[in-house]
Amino acid sequence: MPIKRRLLQALAAVTLGCLTGAAQAHFQMLYVEETALPRADKLEFALVFTHPFSGGPTMTMDEPRAFSHISSHGGEKIDLRKYLRPVQWQSRDNQTTAYRASIPRELVRSLGDHIFVLEPEPYLETEEDAYIQQFTKLIVNVGGVPGNWAEPQGLPVEIQPLSKPYANWTGGVFRAVVLADGKPVPFAEIEIEYINHSVDIDKNAFGQQDYVTAPQASFKALSTYSDAQGIVTIGLPRAGWWGIAALDIGTTKTHKGKPLSQDAVLWVQARDMK
Amino acid sequence: MKPLLIAGALLFCQAAFAHGPVFDCYIESDDLVKCEAGYTDGSSAAGRKIHVQDTSNKVLLEGSVDKDNSYTFQPPAGKYSVVFMGGDNHQATIQSSDISR
Repeated sequence: MPIKRRLLQALAAVTLGCLTGAAQAHFQMLYVEETALPRADKLEFALVFTHPFSGGPTMTMDEPRAFSHISSHGGEKIDLRKYLRPVQWQSRDNQTTAYRASIPRELVRSLGDHIFVLEPEPYLETEEDAYIQQFTKLIVNVGGVPGNWAEPQGLPVEIQPLSKPYANWTGGVFRAVVLADGKPVPFAEIEIEYINHSVDIDKNAFGQQDYVTAPQASFKALSTYSDAQGIVTIGLPRAGWWGIAALDIGTTKTHKGKPLSQDAVLWVQARDMK
Repeated sequence: MKPLLIAGALLFCQAAFAHGPVFDCYIESDDLVKCEAGYTDGSSAAGRKIHVQDTSNKVLLEGSVDKDNSYTFQPPAGKYSVVFMGGDNHQATIQSSDISR
């Protein structure tokens, strides 16, 4: 019977692995070290498609369809694609193509809110034979002058913040509206994930140490739904980066003959009161 | 009507305490210096005075913040400072050594 037992153990291990994998959410990271700047500075961006809580595996990104900056003055939209450069990003599990962008100070030196929007090329998730495309927003503020942080950007799917994404204390709550074609999406499926490790942007790598240990797989990607008005509310129990993803809310449902999930992602940074 | 008036007055007081001045300057491509002024509550700084001073605080240039919350000037030779006169206790100063592109 030892062979049968070993087979059963192997089967159990594979099943557990699948369960763990399924509990992890894909998240398009649009990362800078700091979103609330006392004074303007150049910005180093990392664009990584990954599982933020576990630090990997990362998924290969194709060249993004759009990467834009909406300025703090008059909402002028600037194409940032010329700043993108592919890099090999080292996650815990693998090395894959991600993108970096060095945005010069001249573009972001105005006081107020600077909105960054990423529209990636759809990613084929081979296990599900379906595409994922995550429209991702990050908002940087210079000087503390509020601006257009709460304005939707006319994306097919997006998360419109109702709280400043760059000014949150640990332990606070964050609210936002899930939008598809500019209209609130009631009861949208939401995943929330914490970047549970350091991000070494200069080395194009995630840190090896977890900040916290999940007691069980479902804690890695938290799940909730938007309410009847399309509003999502999350807690911010720890300083750092929290990603909110609203899943499969777009009206475009296919890409190259396969199912397409158009998701909206917003990144929120929390800071300790100290 | 009375409760509404009181509520309005309280909001006004809160707004008055909630804002602080924000000021920054940088060198434009044509070598002019552009300064931006504002407040943390988003209120406009338009019309507020700006002084460009030498190291002995002698006012070299005096201007007002434009409708777009900016003030642009030809920088003087040597060291100078730019002062945003943002209202009661709302003054902010930037030294020329802290002004870059």
